[in-house]
Amino acid sequence: MSETDTNVAEVSLCPVLDLQAAEPLRAELMALRGRPLQVDASQVSRLGGLCLQVLLSARMSWAEDGLPLRIEQASEGFLEQLAAFGAPQIDFEPEGASL
Amino acid sequence: MDPFESIKATFFQECDELLTDMESGLLAMEAGDDDSETINAVFRAVHSVKGGAGAFGLDELIRFAHIFETVLDEMRSDRLHLTDEVAKVLLRASDVLADHVAAARSGGSVDEGRTLGMIADLQGLIDQERAAELGLDGDGSDDGADEDFGFVPIVLSLDEPAADAPEVDVAALMAAATAPAGAPPQATTAAPAWLVTFRPKAEMYAKANETGLVLRELARLGDVEVVVDTAAVPPLDQLSAEQAYLSWTIRLRGEATESDVREVFEFVEDDCELIICRDGEPEAASAETPTVDDPESDAPASAVEAAAAAPLDLEALLARVQGEPAPEAAPPPAAMPQPVPEPAQAAPKADPANMDVAGLIALAEQASLDHVQAAAPPAKTEPKPDPKADARAERTAAAAGATAATPTIRVDLDRVDRLINAVGELVIQQAMLSQRVFESGLARSSDVALGLEDLELLTREIQDSVMAIRAQPVKSVFQRMPRLVREVADMVGKKVRLVMDGENTEVDKTVIERLSDPITHMLRNAIDHGLETPEEREAGGKAIEGTVRLAALHRGGRIVIEVQDDGRGINRPRVRGIAVAKGLIAEDAVLSDDEIDNLIFLPGFSTADVVSDISGRGVGMDVVKRSIQALGGRISITSEPSKGSKFSMSLPLTLAVLDGMVVSAAEQTLVAPLSNIVESLTPRAEDVHLVGGRDAVIRIRDTFVPLIDVGMALGFRDEPLPPASGVAVLVESEGGGKAALLVEAIQGQRQVVIKSLEANYQHIHGVAAATILGDGRVALILDVDALVTTSRRKAPRIEKRMAV
Repeated sequence: MSETDTNVAEVSLCPVLDLQAAEPLRAELMALRGRPLQVDASQVSRLGGLCLQVLLSARMSWAEDGLPLRIEQASEGFLEQLAAFGAPQIDFEPEGASL
Repeated sequence: MDPFESIKATFFQECDELLTDMESGLLAMEAGDDDSETINAVFRAVHSVKGGAGAFGLDELIRFAHIFETVLDEMRSDRLHLTDEVAKVLLRASDVLADHVAAARSGGSVDEGRTLGMIADLQGLIDQERAAELGLDGDGSDDGADEDFGFVPIVLSLDEPAADAPEVDVAALMAAATAPAGAPPQATTAAPAWLVTFRPKAEMYAKANETGLVLRELARLGDVEVVVDTAAVPPLDQLSAEQAYLSWTIRLRGEATESDVREVFEFVEDDCELIICRDGEPEAASAETPTVDDPESDAPASAVEAAAAAPLDLEALLARVQGEPAPEAAPPPAAMPQPVPEPAQAAPKADPANMDVAGLIALAEQASLDHVQAAAPPAKTEPKPDPKADARAERTAAAAGATAATPTIRVDLDRVDRLINAVGELVIQQAMLSQRVFESGLARSSDVALGLEDLELLTREIQDSVMAIRAQPVKSVFQRMPRLVREVADMVGKKVRLVMDGENTEVDKTVIERLSDPITHMLRNAIDHGLETPEEREAGGKAIEGTVRLAALHRGGRIVIEVQDDGRGINRPRVRGIAVAKGLIAEDAVLSDDEIDNLIFLPGFSTADVVSDISGRGVGMDVVKRSIQALGGRISITSEPSKGSKFSMSLPLTLAVLDGMVVSAAEQTLVAPLSNIVESLTPRAEDVHLVGGRDAVIRIRDTFVPLIDVGMALGFRDEPLPPASGVAVLVESEGGGKAALLVEAIQGQRQVVIKSLEANYQHIHGVAAATILGDGRVALILDVDALVTTSRRKAPRIEKRMAV
């Protein structure tokens, strides 16, 4: 948690989050570990189960680090499909922390 | 391509096959086959189309398929009996379904009126009360429940940063067990509910199935509450992106039956763990859960047992086992009295080498779950005697039987083409090598020469096998025809029965693709021009329903397609009159019946007085003939007044290789297709006669046939070859016409690889294609039919000249 002061990292999710997008997404997020993260979900038209796992896993990791992870500007499709998946929580906001 | 699009493309490919299966099943039914297997096959096809359409949200298609399927289901259950009328309606419904699929594929829309009319017809087959009962009047599916989710489970333990990774994971594991228990107790409400526990495996994702689609499909069946279990998801650094960690518990309320629910999972059931049980029904539920008496001790014990095999952090395991009773005993949201192996739902099947303790525990649980599930099946089927379950088992068994029969793979055609091309080059190279060896003066019995012979045999075998890969039954083309016939018959107000024969005749794919147009045209022609109207037929003492026969057969290394009708036959005086009126032949030309019949292939010939929509657009049969000739094929006609006519077209089985006779004329090497050659002879000067002082004929035994000097016909030289100094090759054209080709010498017989001249240069009259010979030179392949017909067609012209 030495890098808490680093600038907020931003990731823009690609429109189709399917089987093939999962590993690249995981790698992308891994590289940004240790920094507060803003995930731009405005482009997402399709959210698959594997990418959902990656996002949930990222949430867990970010929570471990005590760093915030926020989904920003989620597209309608993203929210709708997230809801269909049982609407798991992806955002993480550590207590008292701010970006 | 977008992967989603490519899955969709695969779906449409499958649709094509399914629609084809459906149509052949329906045709069998039309012919009176009311075997339950046939009806089942049709039902399955429609059902699979509907299922796939559901995954892509093609609502129009789903709605129509649903109604269609319901009618078929009525037949399956013997509530609706097969009659002629029913079969006809079903056939038309299949056309509409095909339209819907086509519209979904191209993004277009279907004629609403036609669909509604068809739906009304389908409903008409079932009596009204029953239709209402089945919900046929409304739309088939119950949409709009997607947004109804009761709660969001939150995995609390994750929010506290932990020092030690294994401990975190154990906590996560515990949370998995407790989270469902913390769900609001909104169980048993008035509507019956299903509780579905669904845990995809990595294989499911790998096969491009998507949980989201399955869940969406499930939501169509009624109100759903979806709870996702995220407990097994590891931190990012331990996550394997293509493993499956999530599992879902879905409570479904509504009228859906178990088979409805199972149908949703039809395409993924092998690649996921699936438990479907009645919500709040202890008996049904217990049938799905462990059959052990004391689960509190037994389940963990089996976990220990299974885990003992793996090198495991004992402490972690102990923590696990100690923590076990509480969460295990806590009732999951289903309020089931028996524990469900909930935490195991999301256990990853990870590689033991880089797995942490939590992973191992999960594996241990996995083992116990597997153990449980292995014991479950017998208990699963017995307590609930579901008649539909039997039907389903029957269906899957039948499907399994069908798939077991012919395992196939889909290969990109381009790959096959590359292979065929490469093998073609191999054949050429092999021929060149043989020739080099021969030229080097090695003895025919030398080891090298013998080895080459073996190589040649092998090459030939490879080539045959490769060609067989691309060979396909003409079925794919034939199957489109019944619909065409129905439509054309409706349009012209005639009753037509199409009889098809030899659908399994195989021919190269490149040929198949180009068969469709000529066959379509010939069928239209047969129905529009060949068959009489029902009144005329009745007056002529024939059955009101005309018969058109479409047949495919192999003959002499070629495929022959025949279109035969039992109509009025060719009206020869009329054909002749038209030909004279259009200046195609001289008024006083003397033509045999056969020659008159063949006049209809002349460009610009059309007998239709009124240009109809269907055929007779002024293009007529000459277009058919040209397109067939472009394929290296021929077309001929035989006709008998008031009995009907028969068109036969003959095509090479492949457009890639050819057995040929290598001949030389005017210092050029040429190849004559072996299939055309009848015999060869050395002409004697006294057998050759000149007709009209110019055209030579040769007497062969008791007949005279035209003698064509190939060198002159192709313009290689201007002076005729003295017949006695050459060799005459007697050839027969597809129409049966014979001619002798005069060449200088015959070099031998060889298999040649066809290189299209049209593709590389342009079409040349009298030349079908080209090939590359062993010495690397290009040789032209003779278009025997063109050479023969040219010599034939000259005849009327000469007469004309003489008449002037």
